[in-house]
Order: sequence, then C-alpha cells, then structure tokens
Amino acid sequence: MTRVASTIWTDIQANWKTMVLHGLIFALLFQFLMLIALIVRFQDLPNYVAFYDWFGSAVHIIQSTPSWRDAVQIIWEEWLIEIGFMNYDYGMGISEWSLNVVPSRLVMLFILGATVSLCLALVRRDGCDVGTSNTMRATTGLGALLVAMTNATMSWVVCCATPSWVVGLAMLGLGVSTSLALETMGPLLTGLGFGTLAFIIVVLAARKAYPTKELDPKGAPADA
Amino acid sequence: MKHFTKSAILAAAMMPLASMAAAEKISIAIGHQSMCTDTYTAGIVVKELGLLEKYLPTDGKYADAEYDVSWADYSSGGPITNQMLANKLNFGVMGDYPLIVNGAKFQETDSLRTLYVAGTGYNLKGSGNAIVVPVDSDMYSITDLVGKEVSTPVGSAAWGMLLKAMQDNNIPTSEYVLKNQSPAVGAANIAAGKIDAHSDFCPWSEIMEFRGTGRKIYDGSETGVPYLHGVVVREDFATEYPEVVEAFIKAVWEAGEWIRSDPMEAVSLMEGWTGVEKEVLYLYFSEGGHLTLEPSIKDEWVDALKFNHGVLVKEKAIPPLDFEAWITEDYIRNAYADLGIDYDADKASMVDPVVANDGLPMEIWHARDGVSSYPSLPDFLTAVAAMQGTGAKLNATYVYDDETGLKLFGKTAFWVKAGDEYATFLRKGEAEAYASANGGSLVTFDEAIADFITEG
Repeated sequence: MTRVASTIWTDIQANWKTMVLHGLIFALLFQFLMLIALIVRFQDLPNYVAFYDWFGSAVHIIQSTPSWRDAVQIIWEEWLIEIGFMNYDYGMGISEWSLNVVPSRLVMLFILGATVSLCLALVRRDGCDVGTSNTMRATTGLGALLVAMTNATMSWVVCCATPSWVVGLAMLGLGVSTSLALETMGPLLTGLGFGTLAFIIVVLAARKAYPTKELDPKGAPADA
Repeated sequence: MKHFTKSAILAAAMMPLASMAAAEKISIAIGHQSMCTDTYTAGIVVKELGLLEKYLPTDGKYADAEYDVSWADYSSGGPITNQMLANKLNFGVMGDYPLIVNGAKFQETDSLRTLYVAGTGYNLKGSGNAIVVPVDSDMYSITDLVGKEVSTPVGSAAWGMLLKAMQDNNIPTSEYVLKNQSPAVGAANIAAGKIDAHSDFCPWSEIMEFRGTGRKIYDGSETGVPYLHGVVVREDFATEYPEVVEAFIKAVWEAGEWIRSDPMEAVSLMEGWTGVEKEVLYLYFSEGGHLTLEPSIKDEWVDALKFNHGVLVKEKAIPPLDFEAWITEDYIRNAYADLGIDYDADKASMVDPVVANDGLPMEIWHARDGVSSYPSLPDFLTAVAAMQGTGAKLNATYVYDDETGLKLFGKTAFWVKAGDEYATFLRKGEAEAYASANGGSLVTFDEAIADFITEG
C-alpha cells in the first residue's frame, strides 16, 4: 500500500501543473456550460448580473455564528456572482432563472477537475488493453458526472421552500418525482463520485506499482 | 473602603463607555417579497410608509441608538432564509411553506434559531393559491386534469395545495404529469397554451385572470387549509432588541389599518411600489377580498403549519420542527398591549369569506371616478351598462361566487340568468347546477350587461 501511495504522490508531483490547470479549466468551463444550458433551455440571454462581497460575508458569518460547524455550512452556500434573466412582465421584475457562482462549488469542481486529470494521466500511462482503458475512462467519467451533477448551481423561483442542487436538474427537465427522490442523496452521490475516482486512481497506481504478467501480456514494463 | 473607592473609580471610568454603548448603531435588515401580496403588510407597506421608523424605541437603552433600517426584496422565501442564516437579514416575511422551512433549517443548526413572532394576513379556507387553465381551455373542473400536464412551483404553498386538491379528488399522482415550473414561466405558458394547467400562489392566478390569459378551475379555499403568511426573526436579534421586534409588529398592525381605511388608495399606491396591477391587488385588500389583514397567531394557524410541515416531511424530507420553541406570542402580546388593543379578541376572531362576504355589494372601478358599489346584480349590471354607454373606461368589476363567497372579477365569473335574477360563480359546474335547479341558463358577462342597455 505504501508503494501505491508513493506512486500516486510521484504522479501528482509529476503532473501537478497540469492538474491545477485542468482543475481551473474544469471549474470555469462548468460554469460556462451551465450558463449555455440555461440560455438554450429558456431561450433568453441573461440580462442582469450581481456581484457579492463573498469575503465580507464570510467574515460577517463567522463573527455572528457561535458554532464553527454552522458557520462553515452557511459560508458553503454563499454566492460570489449571480447572473440570470429578469422577467419584467410581472411586477418590478422577477428573476426567471439564474446561475450562481458559488466559491465552495468552484473549489469542489476544481478538485474534481484535478482528480480527473490525474485519473486520465494514469490511464494514459497504464499499459492495459484498449477495452480496459476505455472502461477506466468511462468509470472516471461516471465519477466526474456524479460530482458535477451535485454541484450544479442553477436556480429559479420554483423551489421556494428548499433550493438545492436538484433545482438545476429540474430546470433542465428532470421530473418532479425523480428530483424529489434525488434531493436528499446529494452528499451521498458526491461521495460516491469522488469515491469512484479515488478507486480508479488506486487501481491504476497499484497496476503501476505492482506490474504483473496478467496485467501486461507482452511482459514489457507497464511504463516502458 | 479601598475596594469601594476602586469600584467607584472604575464605574466613573466606565461612564463614557456606557454612553458609547447606548449610542450604538442598530442595523435592522428585513427581507420581503413585493411579488407576494400576502406579505405586504410586513413588507412593502411598512417600508414605503416608514412605519417601522415610527415605532422604533427611542427611550431607555435606545435613547441614543442610531437605526439603520434596510430592506431587501426577494422573489421567494427560500433566499430570505439563506440570508437570515448568514445574518444579513434579521427579519423575514414569507408564506407558510417557506416559513416552516425557515424554522426547520434554523433548528437544524447547532447555534442559530428563528422565532415566528406574528402573522401578516390570512385566508381561512386557503384562497390565494389556485389552479389556472388557459382561458380558452375546455377544462372546467379539477377532475378534467386526469391525464394532463400540470405545472407548479414545487416546494411552494401552491404545490402543497395542488397535492391536497388532487388527493381530495381521488386523482393519484400517476394519473397526471406534474411539472416543476416558476410562476413567471408558468404564467407565460398558460398565456401561450403550452401547459394544460398551472398551480400558483398569490397573486399569480389573479394576474392571469386580469390579463385575460388564464381562468381558475380550482381555488385553494376548496382544500379548507388556511393560507397564511408571517414574520420570522432571528432569535439572537430578538433577545438583544425585543422592543425593536415589538415595534415591527406594531408597524404590521398599522399597515393593515392603513389599507383597511382606504383600500382603493392603498392598492393604487401599492401598484406603484410593486408593479402588480391595482385591480388585482384590490381583489386581495378590499372589503370581501381574499386577505384578512390581522397579525395574531391563532391556534388554527399552528395546526395548519403543522399540517404543511407534514406534507414537506413526506415529500421533501425537511428537518423536524419544534413548533413550541419556534412560535412565540410574547412579542405580539407586548406590542398589542402598548397599542392598547385587545390581543385575545383579535386572536379569537376569524373571518370566513362565506359568512363575511354574504350580502356584500358588487363593485365597479371607474377609471376616473373610482370604486362605486351596488347592492344587487341587476343594479350592478345597470350601472355597468350605463357606464359603458358613455364610453367610460372601467378598470375592473367585482362580484362574489355564490358558492364560496370568493370575490371575483366580473368578467371571469360564470353568470347565470334565472328569470329576472342573476347569480355569479367561480366554476362552471356550480353555475350549471344552479341554472338547472332554478330554471335558468348560463350567459356571458356581456350578455348579462346587454340585458340592461337602454335605448337612446
């Protein structure tokens, strides 16, 4: 196990710049894709944007919340940017849809992007056959999908009782019963997604750390 | 003696600090909803009339206090709760379902709580929520929704009403397609005929009716579950500044009095503040309207909130809520006592539209002359015909549902003519039944008016 950990650490050291770059690209690209999805879904370009003092809010929350656990959970939901479409046909205008850029979710997506980057680097360096390689990539994609899905930050004036990650999926057409069923599973799905990615990394690192005849039919070193 | 001297010196040294403490700046931040009529008496009216400032304490520990009152407008209750959790808002004004989530989410934390300190207004039977179909739809009853697509803002009071209405009418969820939709998109879809029906909260259904795009087929009053809105405040704020909370409740009470004193003037001003058409607001705030403006916390409200919490627990798995710890009458009782009003009398009173609206006059809102009232439908129709004959612009007309006592737009009611008598109904089914029982027939509003157009 030490060799596996050592292999992972070596790969992280070798790839950290790429991982950071991929993490940043993934986090930003995901925001962009959510925005595109909203524009396509609602056929309206965004017509308002609001910026929030995230750092000021975080300091204020820490100062006014006795429990650290509560403070962290509240800061977790704080927004940095809100961009959306305001419908002025009703009242003084009502936000029909919005994309919320939430720093905590950006961090999650950054970690996700970096992890996927590491997975793919390990897959590329692995000497397995095409089928196994594709299976690894597909599993990596599944893990990424689960995490990304639960970090969607699209919202509208629908779930006025409990805004949550499934709102974004509902906006894109997910059925009511499915979204209600999924709503409480957010942390589980996130854990499952990251767990899947971690599993892939460990498997690939193990294959590299303990090369065997079965894993390498040609008998050549996996990284030859 | 030495100890006494030290204490005296210390006390003298602390005097300036004490005075500085008294001169503290008290920030009061309130989250309200200008697109939700039932919150207005704790929201836009208090804000625009400066009623909170009027009642804020200025003596005792508040003698040198500097108040910084700020208001933030939201489209729904959810974000208000999030902002209250972040302590960016001290007070929140919202409807029953979001209120429950507010209390439950705070009680889920280790260190934060809110208190439900006052109502804003209510409808005893649940009017305010409704199911609307496109105006040209051939659906006239909730039972027509079998096999159809129905949208609603999931998690709202309108969603809870829809679930109960369907259950009451033995329509299981498998027999209709439920879609999650925001009010603005739902209203647009109704106008375009893109959805079979849409269930929404106040005042969206009436906006659709007034604009001529939608027609109610089911009113929330049929569920019999009271529809209410209220005020929550962070407990830490209430503990530190109880007199400010009481001031807020006094402002809520006065906002109700102000509206009652001249509803037409009030809704005209509110239209300017909120953008919601005054004719729609009049349906809520006038005598016989959907909303009873009275902030007391009645036992029936607690029962209704518990019922709603049960729905949310079942459908959305929200956290538990200790109602005993959450709801308090301490502040409202003190506020009423200061105002010299009998709280228990208000708490005991209950306005049932069926009883209260019986015999109320019909109304015509003339664009120039304002609102005039008429004791009978023939008198009303005579006046409408006469006004139309002069080419006058009528903003709206108001009649009452024979069945429920609900105030309706004259143009959206189903009219029955039986001999020389007329009756008005919310739903076609009841109108047909009445016509059948009384040897009458359904007529349109224009046909009823035409009966009273005089020659020359």
